[in-house]
Amino acid sequence: MSSIKGKAAIVGIGEIPTGRHADKAAIHYGVASARQAIKDSGIHKDDIDFVMPTGAVFNGQFNNDLVTCRLVEELGLKNVKTNAQVFAGGASGSCLVKTAASLIASGVAKNVLCVHAEKLGTGLAGGQAGIDLFSTAGISGEWEVPFGQHYSTIAALSMTRYMHETGATSEDMAAVCVSNRKWAELNPNAFFRKPLTTEEVLASKILATPLHAKMSNMLFDGGSAFVMTSADRAPHLCERPAYLLGESSRVTHFVHSQEKDITRFGWADAGREAFEEAGLSPSDIDVAEIYDSYPIYQLITFEELGFAGRGEGGQMFRNQETCPGGRLPVTTNGGMLSQGHTGAGGGVALVVEAARQLMNKAGERQVPGARFAVETGTGGTYMDSQVTIFGTEIPA
Amino acid sequence: MSIPQIRKPIVNPCAQPFWDATRQGKLMIQKCTDCQTNIFYPRLFCPNCHSEAIEWVESSGRGTVYSYSVVHNNAPSAFIPDLPYVVAIVRLEEGVQMCTNIVGCDPCDVQCDMPVEVTFDAIDEEFTLPKFKPVQSESIQ
Repeated sequence: MSSIKGKAAIVGIGEIPTGRHADKAAIHYGVASARQAIKDSGIHKDDIDFVMPTGAVFNGQFNNDLVTCRLVEELGLKNVKTNAQVFAGGASGSCLVKTAASLIASGVAKNVLCVHAEKLGTGLAGGQAGIDLFSTAGISGEWEVPFGQHYSTIAALSMTRYMHETGATSEDMAAVCVSNRKWAELNPNAFFRKPLTTEEVLASKILATPLHAKMSNMLFDGGSAFVMTSADRAPHLCERPAYLLGESSRVTHFVHSQEKDITRFGWADAGREAFEEAGLSPSDIDVAEIYDSYPIYQLITFEELGFAGRGEGGQMFRNQETCPGGRLPVTTNGGMLSQGHTGAGGGVALVVEAARQLMNKAGERQVPGARFAVETGTGGTYMDSQVTIFGTEIPA
Repeated sequence: MSIPQIRKPIVNPCAQPFWDATRQGKLMIQKCTDCQTNIFYPRLFCPNCHSEAIEWVESSGRGTVYSYSVVHNNAPSAFIPDLPYVVAIVRLEEGVQMCTNIVGCDPCDVQCDMPVEVTFDAIDEEFTLPKFKPVQSESIQ
C-alpha cells in the first residue's frame, strides 16, 4: 500500500461532445475541454504548473504536437514547468490520475492539467481505415496479426472462453449494452442516444463469434480534461472534490495470446488492493465507472472486483440494477459502447464521469448523493487492469 | 500474386530459427536449461529467470483449443478473402500457448478444449505459418 490516499483530488472537469466534427481541428478538442476544466476548477490558468496530454493515435504529427507543448502555448499557460505525455492506451485515464496525484503528493507539482484530444472519427480515411488501424495497434505483428487477429477477435476470444466456463449467454452481453445505452440517453455528450433493445443487439450481424456488431464500439472524435490539486487546496476550490482514495493495477500481457486467463486478467488483485488502500469495500460504491470497449470486459471487471459472483454479473444487468434508478449505477456516461470510443479518451471520459458524479454535476443522470466511485481502465488488448477509487470524503 | 505485407510475420531476428523450422514442417519452441521453463514466443533469454542458457526443442505439436472465434464480418482488409476463418489460442502440451488458426474442419465444429495438432500452411516462399487441425480430422487443408 502506498501513501497516496487522500492526498490529491480532481477539482475541475471538461468535455466536449463525442461525435464526428470534420470542421474542427484536433487541437480544438484539447484546448476546448482544457479551458472548461480550468474554469470549472476555479484555479487561474497561470497557476497550472504541470500539463499531461495523453496520446492521440489518429495522426502522428498531432501527437508530436501534444508532446512538444502545443497545448501549453495555445492555452496561454504562463507558468507551466513541465508538459509530458502519459499514454497507456485505454488505461491512460487511470495512469494520468495516479501520476498527477503522485506529483502533487510529493510536491513536485501543485496544479496538474490532464488532457485528451482525438479524431478517430473524421481523422481517418473511412470505416475500413479504422478497422485496419485497430487491427494492428497493440497486436503483435509477428505472433498474431498474420493469423487475422484484430480487436473483434480479441473480445470474441474472451467471450467464448468466459461463456464456456460460466454458462453466461449472449443475452447477458446484450444486457450490458442495453444498460450503457440507458445512461447515454441521459448524456448530452454521448453519440448514441436512441433506446437499444436486447433483440436489436442480437439481431445485428456477427463480426466474430459470438460478438455481434451492436456489441462492438465505433470510433469518434472527442476531447476531455481534468484538473487535480492537493487535498489541502481542494475544499477551497470545489464544494465536492473527488479525492483519490485508492489505486492499484496489474500488467498481465503484451501479446494477447500470452495471457494466462483471458476471462480474469489482473482485476481481482488490483481491485482487492485498491479497496484495501481506500478502506472501502464494493458495497460502499455508489457508482462504478467500468471500462466497456466491449460488454465482456465490463462483465469480467464487474465480477472480479466483487460486485457480483462469477458468471452472475449478467443477471444484474438484465434485472436493470445497473441502469438509471438501479441500485448500482454502472458506466453512467454510456461508455465507449454508447458515448463512443475515442481511443485513450474512452478511459479519460470515465475518470471525468466518476468525478462529475461525485461533484454532483451529472445533470439528468446524476446518482443522488454519490459519495464513492470506482473507475477502471485497461489498455491495448486488455494488457493491464487499473482500478481507482474516488470519494467526496476520506474514510479512515 | 504476392500476399499483403501485414500477413507476413514481422520477424524479430531471435525468432528466425522458428520460421526456418516451420518452413521445414517443424514446430520449435525454446527451453531454458537452467530453470527448465518452456518458452514461447522466442526470446534471447529466459523470461522466467533471465538465463541465456536456452535451447531450441521440437514441440509435439499437440495441444488443445483454449478459446476460438469464427470471423464473419469486418475483418482487416488483408483477411477479407479468407472469410470465414477461425482464430484461436492453442495451449500446447509443453505448457505454452499461441495464437493460430484452426483449419481442416467446419468452423462450426470447433470447441473449447478440443484436442488439436499442428499443420503447416506455406503462405508464400518465405513464410510457413503453424496452424492447427482437430486430432481426428481427415480433411485436407
